[in-house]
Amino acid sequence: MLYRLRHTTRYVYASPVDLAAHVLHLTPRALPGQRVLSAALHPRPDAARLTAGFDHFGNPVSRLFLEGSHAEFEVTAEAMVDVGFPAPPPAAATFAWESVAAAARAGGEGAWQAAEFLFPSAMAPADAAVGAYAAPSFPPGRPVLAGLLDLNARIKRDFAFRPGATDIATPVSRVLAARAGVCQDFSHLMIVGLRALGLPARYVSGYLRTRPPPGQRRRVGADASHAWVGCWLGPARGWVDLDPTNDLVVRDEHVVLGWGRDYRDVSPVRGVILGGGEHSLSVGVDLEPLPEAAIR
Amino acid sequence: MMDGLPALSPARDEMANGRGGLRTHWQDLLGTLVGLGPEAMAERGAMLDRLFAEEGVTTLLPGATATAWRCDPVPLPIPAAEFAALEAGLAQRAAVIEAMLADLYGPQDLLARGVLPPALVFPNPNFLRPCHGMPQQQHLQLYAADLIRGPDGQWRVLADRTNAPHGMAYALENRRALSRIVPEIFRARHLRRMRPFFDIWQSDLQRLAPGGDGNPNLVLLSPGPRNAFWFEHVVLARELSCTLVEGGDLTARDGAVFLKTLGGLRRVDVVLRRQDGRGLDPLELDAGDALAQGVSGLLDAAREGSLVIANAPGSDMAEAPGLAAFLPAVAAHFGADPLSLPSVPTLWLGQPGALEAVVRDPAQWLLRPALDGVAPPVPLTDLTSAAREALLARAAASPFSHAASLALPPSVAPCVGPDGFEPRPIVLRLFLVRRGDGWAALQGGLARALAPADALAGRLPRQALAKDVWVATEDTGEIQGPAALAIPALPIRRPTGELPSRAADNFFWFGRYLERLEGAARLLRSVIARLERASLSPRELASLQKLAACLRVHYLVDEEGERAVGTPAFPRALLALLRPEGTLPQLTGQVGRAMELLRDRLTGEMYTASNHALRELQGALRGVPTGRSENPRALAQLSEVLGGVLVFAAMVSGLAAENMVQGGGRLFLDLGRRLERARAITAELAVLLVEPMAATQPARLEPGLRLALELRDSVITYRNRYVTALQPAPVLDLVLAEEGNPRGLAFQLLAMRDAFASLGGDGESGMPIAIGAVLAEARAMAGEVAAATRQAEAAIALPPRLSAMHESLGELSDIIARRWFALLPEAQSVGAELAAMKGAA
Repeated sequence: MLYRLRHTTRYVYASPVDLAAHVLHLTPRALPGQRVLSAALHPRPDAARLTAGFDHFGNPVSRLFLEGSHAEFEVTAEAMVDVGFPAPPPAAATFAWESVAAAARAGGEGAWQAAEFLFPSAMAPADAAVGAYAAPSFPPGRPVLAGLLDLNARIKRDFAFRPGATDIATPVSRVLAARAGVCQDFSHLMIVGLRALGLPARYVSGYLRTRPPPGQRRRVGADASHAWVGCWLGPARGWVDLDPTNDLVVRDEHVVLGWGRDYRDVSPVRGVILGGGEHSLSVGVDLEPLPEAAIR
Repeated sequence: MMDGLPALSPARDEMANGRGGLRTHWQDLLGTLVGLGPEAMAERGAMLDRLFAEEGVTTLLPGATATAWRCDPVPLPIPAAEFAALEAGLAQRAAVIEAMLADLYGPQDLLARGVLPPALVFPNPNFLRPCHGMPQQQHLQLYAADLIRGPDGQWRVLADRTNAPHGMAYALENRRALSRIVPEIFRARHLRRMRPFFDIWQSDLQRLAPGGDGNPNLVLLSPGPRNAFWFEHVVLARELSCTLVEGGDLTARDGAVFLKTLGGLRRVDVVLRRQDGRGLDPLELDAGDALAQGVSGLLDAAREGSLVIANAPGSDMAEAPGLAAFLPAVAAHFGADPLSLPSVPTLWLGQPGALEAVVRDPAQWLLRPALDGVAPPVPLTDLTSAAREALLARAAASPFSHAASLALPPSVAPCVGPDGFEPRPIVLRLFLVRRGDGWAALQGGLARALAPADALAGRLPRQALAKDVWVATEDTGEIQGPAALAIPALPIRRPTGELPSRAADNFFWFGRYLERLEGAARLLRSVIARLERASLSPRELASLQKLAACLRVHYLVDEEGERAVGTPAFPRALLALLRPEGTLPQLTGQVGRAMELLRDRLTGEMYTASNHALRELQGALRGVPTGRSENPRALAQLSEVLGGVLVFAAMVSGLAAENMVQGGGRLFLDLGRRLERARAITAELAVLLVEPMAATQPARLEPGLRLALELRDSVITYRNRYVTALQPAPVLDLVLAEEGNPRGLAFQLLAMRDAFASLGGDGESGMPIAIGAVLAEARAMAGEVAAATRQAEAAIALPPRLSAMHESLGELSDIIARRWFALLPEAQSVGAELAAMKGAA
């Protein structure tokens, strides 16, 4: 599936900012199932310095420095992406979840990189209650993907999607108690649950295609950032991405920016500014599906 | 697992040769010590305590307040051959750790091949992901290790220190203090010198500089005076000719980092960091609450290669205690020889069977977090059985995050205790710095004697007595006195950097606080002198009213306090200034903090003398009774202490004049004092001249005029010139316009103008013009009163103009701050908030 992506982040400051530095995770990551045909960043005001590279996780990352005084900062990321992730293997054909956990824990060849996603992290800290919530999906000997799909479906079923019910600082324990949140909360919750069982899980940042209600046109700019969970199936099988907010297996309606241990590793725009006082943030995302012919 | 563990007892005695005799290198020393006798040695110990306290040598223990450093008068001698073996063993460890860090921040073969478990790397908060893949010619420049010697006589490493190991300045200080207080023990002994270590270190810092233009800008990055080891940062910056900076002094521009100085931005080549890697760059690292300490863009500059950070950020991770269990395997992976200086036997509980081994014999092990090298190991036998069960249950639930090290009792050495010499367990810290391809050790070190209560095996002292470490030369045959020691040619040191803006700012405020303190003392003494009189004449009462108004403009009393003149509430309001949150402790505290901030820029003599005097002053202030019940002596006592404040202020001025180089810091100290004094003169005069009735009854103005002279310490000058007749014009001329009166306004303004002239490049600041305008106004005021036929009437019209002048002087302070200190606003982070997240599709 071919998409044109446009993501604008805009800060307005109450008083001028003298110096600013921002780390951007706004460029889609090239993957076997995701071709990045073009990608560009347009900052305003112009950056005094803009670097492009890859972070520890292999995600594209840019660092942007503004040295002149400014009262507003805006950055727009544009990209053309062709997405088509392969179907996961039949769930019954995957390893028992215990052996996947054991392989991750042992590390070494084929597993050491996945092991990084076993451990608690700042926004996905260990939480026994969340572990207990996840556990029923993984009875002894169950093939790992069967358990993962079950958990993915349970979260969608048990939790209400309610923007404003949570904010960035809401811990997963509160999300569990409230049974409500947004995609970021559900992703962190699933990650904490899987790690409690010893299964590697990572936070994936990106976008989801929205479908307008029947009879209506797509509204430009009404899309938003999205998040879901990368799950490890063992050394031979690698990773599969599951979207607990929508009970989906990620195939061709998601665009991946990058992944990390939790939101903090891949937050799209974060920075340190000098001055500025109060600030307001507005974000506009537009993910437009294009006809295949547009590639040529 | 772990066969052949060393025996756990009895603790070895450093003095004993194992054949019932004394080791050679202790014989003479012990003779001298015994000759002096335990009482004399206890006295020397007390003298050492006093010396450190007076010189302000402090350390801060976690969770504690500043504690004076303590050093035992008995040193710890180490024979040259033994020291050489330790040095070689540590150099080997340093090389292995360097290779390990290069791999973990590079290809991560150690993980891919299963040499290291992921659980000892990925969850380590000091594994800094933004540093992964960063070009880095070396990770460790400085390496230290804590060592103990077990009952079998083998030294072992208790902890590797790879972050910013501290203790070298304290080692220097111990040696210096000991040689002064216990000179007898140094006679006829030849010790290795410690200084060359710092020269080697400085050359390595120079070598690291990118570009190599021959005169690199080196900075020592400190978290500031609140840090536990601020004293050491000051000493190291001096020894290594680095500019001592805090995060706020640095700013990143276009992929490089610059120091903000009076002369503008100066590019930084090498950052010697004395703070945790995690706090270095809030842009890329999880700084937590350390946002203000780091420098946004520091890692970007390092990645760009425009500056080098030593030790490399992220080297902290090698301190994780659990790694000790794998160090031999890591050494083997890199083809290194087996470690000649092993770690204290350590189990990582994530290894199969390790937890069981600990549970089987809990008395043998100390439990510690696998990743936190700072947390103290816990002796399991120390705990109640319930606490032990709970701890073991936590370890069983999360074996990967725990390690256990063998409870080896450290060797003991004699220390001076309350009852004479007593053996105490010793932990030895040694330091290595890069020299070319290899390593050079500090020829000495820092030993710490554990308090008897802490005498449990392997536990690092929380609050310990330090010992000077001697590296003797007697058993190598190369008897060398310090003069004969081959010292490498001293590199020419060029202290880099003009005055950093922050230092100028600190000097300016040091001057202002000092003057404010002095002004408050002078004013309060005038008040108390009147209160002490048995009865007040109406005129004296009027003076007191005026003084109370002055107190109020200086915020020393509030409106209620001012109105309380003549009632018992008034003296109470004065004594309230002594409360901990009151003005006097606050001001002395601010002076003390400013001095601490400037410690690296004051001469030792100036710092020591001022600090000592200030502490005495603070003690005296605390000694004044402030209880609710009337204490007739309290005010007299306060007045006496305030006299001490005046002496202190004069002493600091004198020390500054005698000890500080002209220009730079002293200039700003002076500016601060002059500005503050000028503001005080205008504020007080604006109050003293408020006397509406004086238009028709000129005598009414006399108390105000008298006070104007008294508060400016100008009574005698006036009397010499005009005998006793008090008239507005001569008084105002002396206070406002007379250029030669060092307590008058004109003198302050001219001194400020001269200071700005010598700063140069101030054309754009508008300072000379602004000062000139104030000066002209001051002259005009004095002149108008002198020319008036009714002087008193002209004088009482001045207060609004004086208040306006007071405001203009306040604006000057802002201009100075903007032009010279270039202070940037506080940093804040953005982007933690989430954009509205996606709904269900």
